[in-house]
Amino acid sequence: MNVVFAVKQYVSKMIEDSGPGMKVLLMDKETTGIVSMVYTQSEILQKEVYLFERIDSQNREVMKHLKAICFLRPTKENVGYLIQELRRPKYSIYFIYFSNVISKSDVKSLAEADEQEVVAEVQEFYGDYIAVNPHLFSLNILGCCQGRNWDPAQLSRTTQGLTALLLSLKKCPMIRYQLSSEAAKRLAECVKQVITKEYELFEFRRTEVPPLLLILDRCDDAITPLLNQWTYQAMVHELLGINNNRIDLSRVPGISKDLREVVLSAENDEFYANNMYLNFAEIGSNIKNLMEDFQKKKPKEQQKLESIADMKAFVENYPQFKKMSGTVSKHVTVVGELSRLVSERNLLEVSEVEQELACQNDHSSALQNVKRLLQNPKVTEFDAARLVMLYALHYERHSSNSLPGLMMDLRNKGVSEKYRKLVSAVVEYGGKRVRGSDLFSPKDAVAITKQFLKGLKGVENVYTQHQPFLHETLDHLIKGKLKENVYPYLGPSTLRDRPQDIIVFIIGGATYEEALTVYNLNRTTPGVRIVLGGTTVHNTKSFLEEVLASGLHSRSRESSQVTSRSASR
Amino acid sequence: MASLDDPGEVREGFLCPLCLKNLQSFYQLQSHYEEEHSGEDRDVKGQIKSLVQKAKKAKNRLLKREGDDRAESGTQGYESFSYGGVDPYMWEPQELGAVRSHLSDFKKHRAARIDHYVVEVNKLIIRLEKLTAFDRTNTESAKIRAIEKSVVPWVNDQDVPFCPDCGNKFSIRNRRHHCRLCGSIMCKKCMELISLPFANKLTSASKDSLSTHTSPSQSPNSVHGSRRGSISSVSSVSSVLDEKDDDRIRCCTHCKDTLLKREQQIDEKEHTPDIVKLYEKLRLCMEKVDQKAPEYIRMAASLNAGETTYNLEHAGDLRVEVQKVYELIDALSKKILTLGLNQDPPPHPNTLRLQRMIRYSATLFVQEKLLGLMSLPTREQFEELKKKRKQEMERKKILERQVDLESQRRFEERQSDLASRAANGDVVSLQGGPAPLRKAEGWLPLSGSQGQSEDSDPLLQQIHNITSFIRQAKAAGRTDEVRTLQENLRQLQDEYDQQQTEKAIELSRRQAEEEDLQREQLQRLCEREWEREREQFRAASLHTRTRSLDFREIRPFQLEPSREPPTHLAYALDLGSSSVQSSAALETPSPITALEPVRVWSGPPAIGQESFPQSIMSQQNELASLNPFDEEDPSSPTAEGTTSPPATEPSFGPSAYILKEYNPFEEEEEEGVAGNPFTNPDGPAPNPFDEEDEDPHQRPSSPPVPGNPFEEGTCTNPFEMDSDSEPEGEEPIEEELLLQQIDNIKAYIFDAKQCGRLDEVEVLTENLRELKRTLAKQKGGTH
Repeated sequence: MNVVFAVKQYVSKMIEDSGPGMKVLLMDKETTGIVSMVYTQSEILQKEVYLFERIDSQNREVMKHLKAICFLRPTKENVGYLIQELRRPKYSIYFIYFSNVISKSDVKSLAEADEQEVVAEVQEFYGDYIAVNPHLFSLNILGCCQGRNWDPAQLSRTTQGLTALLLSLKKCPMIRYQLSSEAAKRLAECVKQVITKEYELFEFRRTEVPPLLLILDRCDDAITPLLNQWTYQAMVHELLGINNNRIDLSRVPGISKDLREVVLSAENDEFYANNMYLNFAEIGSNIKNLMEDFQKKKPKEQQKLESIADMKAFVENYPQFKKMSGTVSKHVTVVGELSRLVSERNLLEVSEVEQELACQNDHSSALQNVKRLLQNPKVTEFDAARLVMLYALHYERHSSNSLPGLMMDLRNKGVSEKYRKLVSAVVEYGGKRVRGSDLFSPKDAVAITKQFLKGLKGVENVYTQHQPFLHETLDHLIKGKLKENVYPYLGPSTLRDRPQDIIVFIIGGATYEEALTVYNLNRTTPGVRIVLGGTTVHNTKSFLEEVLASGLHSRSRESSQVTSRSASR
Repeated sequence: MASLDDPGEVREGFLCPLCLKNLQSFYQLQSHYEEEHSGEDRDVKGQIKSLVQKAKKAKNRLLKREGDDRAESGTQGYESFSYGGVDPYMWEPQELGAVRSHLSDFKKHRAARIDHYVVEVNKLIIRLEKLTAFDRTNTESAKIRAIEKSVVPWVNDQDVPFCPDCGNKFSIRNRRHHCRLCGSIMCKKCMELISLPFANKLTSASKDSLSTHTSPSQSPNSVHGSRRGSISSVSSVSSVLDEKDDDRIRCCTHCKDTLLKREQQIDEKEHTPDIVKLYEKLRLCMEKVDQKAPEYIRMAASLNAGETTYNLEHAGDLRVEVQKVYELIDALSKKILTLGLNQDPPPHPNTLRLQRMIRYSATLFVQEKLLGLMSLPTREQFEELKKKRKQEMERKKILERQVDLESQRRFEERQSDLASRAANGDVVSLQGGPAPLRKAEGWLPLSGSQGQSEDSDPLLQQIHNITSFIRQAKAAGRTDEVRTLQENLRQLQDEYDQQQTEKAIELSRRQAEEEDLQREQLQRLCEREWEREREQFRAASLHTRTRSLDFREIRPFQLEPSREPPTHLAYALDLGSSSVQSSAALETPSPITALEPVRVWSGPPAIGQESFPQSIMSQQNELASLNPFDEEDPSSPTAEGTTSPPATEPSFGPSAYILKEYNPFEEEEEEGVAGNPFTNPDGPAPNPFDEEDEDPHQRPSSPPVPGNPFEEGTCTNPFEMDSDSEPEGEEPIEEELLLQQIDNIKAYIFDAKQCGRLDEVEVLTENLRELKRTLAKQKGGTH
């Protein structure tokens, strides 16, 4: 069930199968991202892969002494490029791997192009998704829906991604979907269709309890992606933006050249692996320890190398020191920037009110707090807009809803029209009318008592009170209490036992907060393994773009802004 | 303990351990404790007893499956007990995902195509051979033409009114030309020519290869050999000659194209570029290192430990050998790096990139594998080490003997203890009879017990011992003793189980505590951030005041989170605290049993509860030791009283702290930061995975051509040095080392220069100079 490992295994297998000798890896735009998530440069270098090329790059030289490993998505363009490549081969021998099902006719036209007999292997290896964490994958699709329905191209890409995931994990699941979402139903059917069509591929050893695929829609919980985050990974994504494990720091004031872009990957950064789920305060102290550690190991600048032993020690420690210094400087920079943003944007205060809006039901106090923050000059228009969005979502039908007043406040604050329009767009996207389940008020007695007790006790941490709705859904699913009239099975058969292997997919994108929830569920629930996926992994900014792209509410006017997908910040 | 089933509950608030009432803070909990539960000793015991029973039940549930070998499997079971689930990083490895091969399909389609292609090519080459098989220059044109026509039938002129390639109409001026290879017609413009040398090259190559055909899967249809003799049919057709083709053969573009492709294939087969040769050598060396290095490390480790399994000289030789291979790798990779740099049209950027990458990976390899080679002791050191080891061994032996004695003593104590218990009454007394006898002939722990003596838990050790006693007794046929021993064993196991359960419970509790702490810390940060804000603005709005109240409430708790986790544990007061104590008590099992005789045991059912008194005792101890809070008290109230400025000063919240700390550090950092692309896999090193293809374009601009430190490096050819220094016995290793290090530093400098970190370059250059000076000095000394 480890998705990172699954993709990594595929890549390793490709390299292994090509035997010894210098190799070049030929990829397309998407597979480049897929491979870079699971392998580092130095790791792959040690397997004799020295060059990485894009299949569509024109600037490639003939190098007949290299073996080529092609890892490509089976798209029309790629097949075209490959045919050209085989007609005039640049490398001595080709090992071709497609990341998904390829049609027989494409195989035929490739075969006919291979007049020089340079192809040694043609296979399908189903690494067709971005493996973010062992339990989290993404397809990096922003704007998957038009209105309430799928953009057809994205539907087929999502279907491919999901089926590839199932194949790479060797799971042939039962499917449940969120009834209130047309898109979820559609995707479920498409996946089922592929499973039926490629039934030979999906013949795996039966497990006692069949795995379960649960398909959800972001519309059901528009709150989670609107909140500020305080755990490391989620926070970095919210404030700086993570794109295939890369973080763009070029806008950080006074950043050094080396740190313009840094890579945060739990696979080979121990500090990150240990801290990605911890909250900001803990990171602070951990990073201090890291620095102290580092300072101890740091060679003195004016250190005299008096003896051979000194020099030997210096040279031997140097690489380690280098490596460590890379880690230290990276994390210090990132955390430093985070804390700068937190104080600059007054995020502690903002986040507290956000949490109140998301978790509590006291309308007047919430309204008062939002109003107060809107007056605060330090609060950015982005944060102001999101507060109003949260208010609008929560108190949509409240008797004394004063959204118009808040909108006035936004206008007075000078918040741009784009954001003000987004408030209604978000309500349209994830408002009460759309939601299949109740996001705010608890339904059953247990939940009510729980909340009551919570109110009595006060909360431990005001900034992390919020539990994504996904937690409740999964909790019910694990306990076998998830209602079938809200989340029906596709097809006649149902699961009698409690599920063990669960794959949850969120159309419209998951969030790192949800990833954390799933991580914790995995850790605390015996016998259950959950993998979370989404069309993308959102932060607030990208979520708003998603809402915009769906074109709800103001379809014609705003569409131009969809295209401007600037680096998230 | 009921909360064990629902970990979500455990973490919230400060539960009174006795009445499970939820309290807001430590202080409230403490006062609650003092008010409500003081002097309830008996009740306390009862409560705790019930808790213990619950724990026992939980444990039994868990251990149900494990049956007999519970002592062994205990620890594993408890791990999942403390976490519940599994961290996704720990998920067991899975097999390779599904795959599907299209190769056979592909080959089928290709074979059909290739057959066609190969036949075409071979046909052309055979014809070409026929056309060149005679002496063209000395044959008259008519004859040539006749021969040409005999090789392939020419297309009839009337059938082709237009040039099939360019579409121009044929006329008197635009004459028809025939391809000599396929007989088709084209105009002069579209005509190609094949020179004789070219033709010869193709035909001779195919003669070679036709016997041992090129690609492995080439179809059997390919023509084997060619027959001559078609020349005999010389016809006497006389025709008008426009030109005489003595040294070339006319053909159409299509045929020429096919032949050119063929030529390319032939060329590639024959040509092996330098880089490949070097690279193959490099890989050979790496393989050698992979073989030899582990062997050497094994030797060196053993020698350094003072063992005498390996010969010191032999290890030295191996070291030199491995180092030589390393130098070879270094030299080869450098050569690869600089290949073709001096050529006039500089190599393609990709070639340079390839060379750089090979060098880079060789450096990585060397760093990883060879710099880690440990050094060998000198002869004197080795002697010393040997001595030391000898002493160590002796000490160990003595220790072992002591342990043996100890266990025997314990065993005897136990026996006497049993005897005294037996004296207390019942049926047992009958069996207890032979006790005095046993002293003389006590069972010894079996030989296996030496290995087991490493068991960290003394209880486990004891269990093992007793098991072996039982075995011995059984063998000796003393059923009565077996019985007593078995009972003994059961008691021990129960005790052990109890201990384990408690440990597990404590573990889970600590988990919860830790999480609590973590959460608390975030809050603390936030609070402090708040506090700072407050100081800055002094805007005493109502809101902030309430917050600061909050703050005071939690603060004392936060003050010492790291310094006093044990007391935390005590406060949350769970069973875990007792286990600490009881396990401490259990470390010497004999005292327990020493206490036991005081009690009158009613029989087997009570045995399970054997250690209750222990835990009760320890609980009481714990209660007493709750007092650490008294120590705290005087300090914390003051902190509370003077809440804000002085108390918050030192701990402005980690974020602020980091900022302060961070800047000065950055400056120092500069030179260190500078990610060495060689050593920094996860650092900011330029990464070929970059989606934008900027890298390849940028990089070529900085190929290491001018002032390349590596060139210097290659000048000082390590091999020459080597042969120089080898005869000198003691010295060579050191000198090699020096050279090696000089090379390394040069590489670092090169690196730093490329990344433009001048300060670092300076430090490194300084080092380099030092090294060189040392080297020179040494050389001066030795020569």
